[in-house]
Amino acid sequence: MSIEKRMLARELKLAAARPGDIFKPMWFLMLVISMVPLALSPDSVLLADIGSAMIWVATLLALLLNTEHLFQSDFSDGVLEQWLFLDRPLAWLVGLKLIVHWLFHVVPLICITPIAGLMLSVPTDVLIALLMTLVVATPALTCFSGLGAALTLGSSRSGILGVLVMMPLFVPVVILAAGVLIRATDGSEILPLMALLGAFSLVAATLVPIAVSAAIRLNIGGSN
Amino acid sequence: MLEFQFESLMAFLAMAPHGAYVWPVYILGLLILGGLTWVNLRQHRQAIRLVKRQLEREETHES
Amino acid sequence: MSWRWFHQWGSPRWFYERAGRWQLVCGWLALILLVVGSLWGLGFAPVDYQQGNSYRIIYLHVPVAFLAQAMYAAMAVCAVVLFVWKMKLADVAMQAIAVTGLAFTVLSLVSGAVWGKPTWGTYWVWDARLTSMLILGFLYLGLIGLRAAIQDPDQAGKACGILVLVGVVNLPIIKYSVEWWNTLHQPASLKLTEKPTMPASMWMPLLVNILGYYIAAAYLVLGSMRAIVIGRERRASWVKELVGRA
Repeated sequence: MSIEKRMLARELKLAAARPGDIFKPMWFLMLVISMVPLALSPDSVLLADIGSAMIWVATLLALLLNTEHLFQSDFSDGVLEQWLFLDRPLAWLVGLKLIVHWLFHVVPLICITPIAGLMLSVPTDVLIALLMTLVVATPALTCFSGLGAALTLGSSRSGILGVLVMMPLFVPVVILAAGVLIRATDGSEILPLMALLGAFSLVAATLVPIAVSAAIRLNIGGSN
Repeated sequence: MLEFQFESLMAFLAMAPHGAYVWPVYILGLLILGGLTWVNLRQHRQAIRLVKRQLEREETHES
Repeated sequence: MSWRWFHQWGSPRWFYERAGRWQLVCGWLALILLVVGSLWGLGFAPVDYQQGNSYRIIYLHVPVAFLAQAMYAAMAVCAVVLFVWKMKLADVAMQAIAVTGLAFTVLSLVSGAVWGKPTWGTYWVWDARLTSMLILGFLYLGLIGLRAAIQDPDQAGKACGILVLVGVVNLPIIKYSVEWWNTLHQPASLKLTEKPTMPASMWMPLLVNILGYYIAAAYLVLGSMRAIVIGRERRASWVKELVGRA
């Protein structure tokens, strides 16, 4: 069996063994969304106004918290060390791991955002735009938070440092997505901005795994 | 070109109507620059003290 | 620039011995420039017809804000030197600049906010400059936090190096997107310092202050670097000799 197939099989097994890891971020998202009207007001017009932005922020947080310990179990199982000796570039394996993580852990998250949208009275066309921005932007966000996870891999008591370190880098993506949502609310053309968002996401998804693999190499081998 | 813009020293310190804004900023700047200088000095002294202690320990081991 | 000069920077000892002198020179120079520049700006630059005397904050705010950003770029240069030439001093510089950079960022934010009160009526506005500066502050914090979390100094240096390089590539993107974000919501963008023309009597003290804060930053970074070098090289014989002599 090829290396990639073996990796996919392992990830499938892990995901099946720990369904909670997939469910808990979705649960977190719904909790946060429920807090919003409680903290604000049940007025559906007001909620519709800020709803899409709140869903974006909540999804972002859920994604971050979920990806924070991405490499931890592979690290403690010794799997990461094995990667260094496999016949593939480390960045490729890292990219694969990130894609699979996105598929199994982030996509389910995106799938329940329509329910959140319903609860916050988000209009349908904005909701569709929201889903599109999430699908396009989350791969890049996953890569960036993977970098945070890799950088803090060695340190024992870093807490949410991986999250803190990466969040400022999300700003361009968040702003671009917000721009799309504003256009969607106005009813104007969203395609050019979506294309820009997609381009940024693609570049990030291609380049960031290289930085992630450098960070992993650093934290496994110690200083060399 | 260089003329003092205020009638008196008191007017300078008051800098009406914005003195309460301008002066605290400069004082904060002074505090931060001074604070950083002090922190660096302290760090330096601590590092030297650490080495001294190490040296003393080595000497007592030898003797 | 001979290679010998360059390779001397590989020696922490050489640096430590020279840096003391450089630090002294920078310290006095910065003090003179800042006292002269600040008094000039505070007392002798003409009153602004729109903002009155509150604009005098720019003589601190603008240099400090500029330096906060320049120092991040300097850290990126240090990271490149660290990875390409494996120079330990580059990592020491990175560590020293991070704390000073954060302090300057905070000072820039506070001075900007205080300036905002008489000018716009509130202490905080989400304008492009302040928002970018806030994010820069978070980037600095992340670097300092990451360094503190990793025990081995060489490892910590390389991890911070990776983070700085990723950050520096993102920084222009962040700034650009924040400016764009601002125009989305405030068509009449509020600019804190841009004036069509600033008379020489106003920008000359600004230049003096920019130079002064630049050299002050160098003074602070050099001081911090010397302290860090002693700490890291404490097992080296030259350090023991130095301390023993003192």
